[in-house]
Amino acid sequence: MKKLLSPDELARDDRFERAEMLDRIQDPRNGSPAANRGSGRLRPERADAPDAARALMHGIFVGEIQALEGAGRTCYDFEVGRSGKLGDDEVPFELKLDMARQCWDEARHCEISVKLSEWMGTEIGEFGENAFLFQAACNPDPVLRLTGVNRALEGLAIDVFNTMKEFGDLAGDPVLEFCEDWMLADEVTHVKMGSDWLRTLTATDKERQKRALEFQRVVDKLFSFGGFRGEDDDNPVQLARRFRELAGFDDGEMTEIAELSREAKAEVEERARLAREADATAAG
Amino acid sequence: MADSKQPRAPFAPWDRRELPGAFSVEDTARRVGQYKWIEMKLFEALGGWVATVPELDVKMRLGTHCYHHAWHAELWHKRLPELREMDPDRLTRPASPEVEAFMTALTEPGEHDQTIEKLVGVYRVLIPHKVAAYTYHRNNTSTITDAPTIRSLGFILQDEMEDWRDGTLMLTSLIQTEEEVRRAAEHQARLETLLVAAGGICGPGTIGDAYDLSGDPARATVA
Repeated sequence: MKKLLSPDELARDDRFERAEMLDRIQDPRNGSPAANRGSGRLRPERADAPDAARALMHGIFVGEIQALEGAGRTCYDFEVGRSGKLGDDEVPFELKLDMARQCWDEARHCEISVKLSEWMGTEIGEFGENAFLFQAACNPDPVLRLTGVNRALEGLAIDVFNTMKEFGDLAGDPVLEFCEDWMLADEVTHVKMGSDWLRTLTATDKERQKRALEFQRVVDKLFSFGGFRGEDDDNPVQLARRFRELAGFDDGEMTEIAELSREAKAEVEERARLAREADATAAG
Repeated sequence: MADSKQPRAPFAPWDRRELPGAFSVEDTARRVGQYKWIEMKLFEALGGWVATVPELDVKMRLGTHCYHHAWHAELWHKRLPELREMDPDRLTRPASPEVEAFMTALTEPGEHDQTIEKLVGVYRVLIPHKVAAYTYHRNNTSTITDAPTIRSLGFILQDEMEDWRDGTLMLTSLIQTEEEVRRAAEHQARLETLLVAAGGICGPGTIGDAYDLSGDPARATVA
């Protein structure tokens, strides 16, 4: 079996529809006035709340599959090195054990989210899947991969699950709230694993630590999806400070993620403004 | 109740545990290191295969089973220093080049349309051989001096049997045509041949020698 798979190589059955990020952003269900969709925080009173929640749950489901695949590949892609003498492409035995544990957790999350999707009236493949999340799991440097997956991707999962848990509470859906709370507990564990391993593996290599944190900033900005995740009231998914703190994030790091989200949102709005101007110019 | 000061036998009539066992401390450490190596290679492969398997239920089960075998590797890793092996990496190795060749062949299938081959290698070949090796070890080691190994073997064997059942169900549902029956059987035969050449997952003596008429299992244990 080859090492280091690309996102295009992920195996799926025929129900799954691969969508590029651009297609997903332009999906009319994502807030077009014609579809009578709202925006801002995910609340039951939003006119589009049922569809937005179903879309988010399907996104969680495919995200969990990719997180499962990412953790599994980390078990396989790197060799175990001897502690104290690790090569750049080697990892400690104990890190692999953590990744195997994460595999089990993510497999359960797939099972939970596919059942919740069904509960919410969604079929597998009803919404597109992009392999954006798995890209964070493609880095050939195990420290950067761990930072991308366990700090950025799993950090996003904390924010998403907390948002869905609150939505379940507000919508009077105890099953949704119950399940999201359990998954949230696992994600805090995974992010803490990432925080701990990042510290351990870069304790004597500050340059590598700097590269890893820079990589995390890039991934965090991408995972803000142009303002989808942040801590302003119009961000559908809210930054879950309390749970991130449990997982090893400090205040400064969380403020930085919120700022990155604002930057990403401003960039998307600027691109949209330029596109509108170009359309107007073309129309004469 | 009888007088609490009345002497009792140190081993009650229902307690038939015995001294000695078939394995020395050194034999046990060597064997445990070989188990750890096999479990590591297995959980790494299962984790790697998750992304290459399109069948959703199989993908999720492999993720679960990946952790089971990682936990087994961890149990063996922790047992090694208790067996006077203070550098667990030293004994974490295949029993022989033939065992290594078998594991390389088992983990080779990587294509999306090779789920049958992946599952056959694990659930028709390796896990049955692990059950055999672990059961032989459990039944022949000293039930008193080596109780910690026996306890781990008990937990691990329970996992192996559950995982074998899962794997058999998945394979039974996947194999639907004559061609698929043939594919599964040919792959199984290829891997079995390699393992027979290796003498089992711990090399010759993995499950003793059933043709040894001396009645002393210690004579036929670890090579």
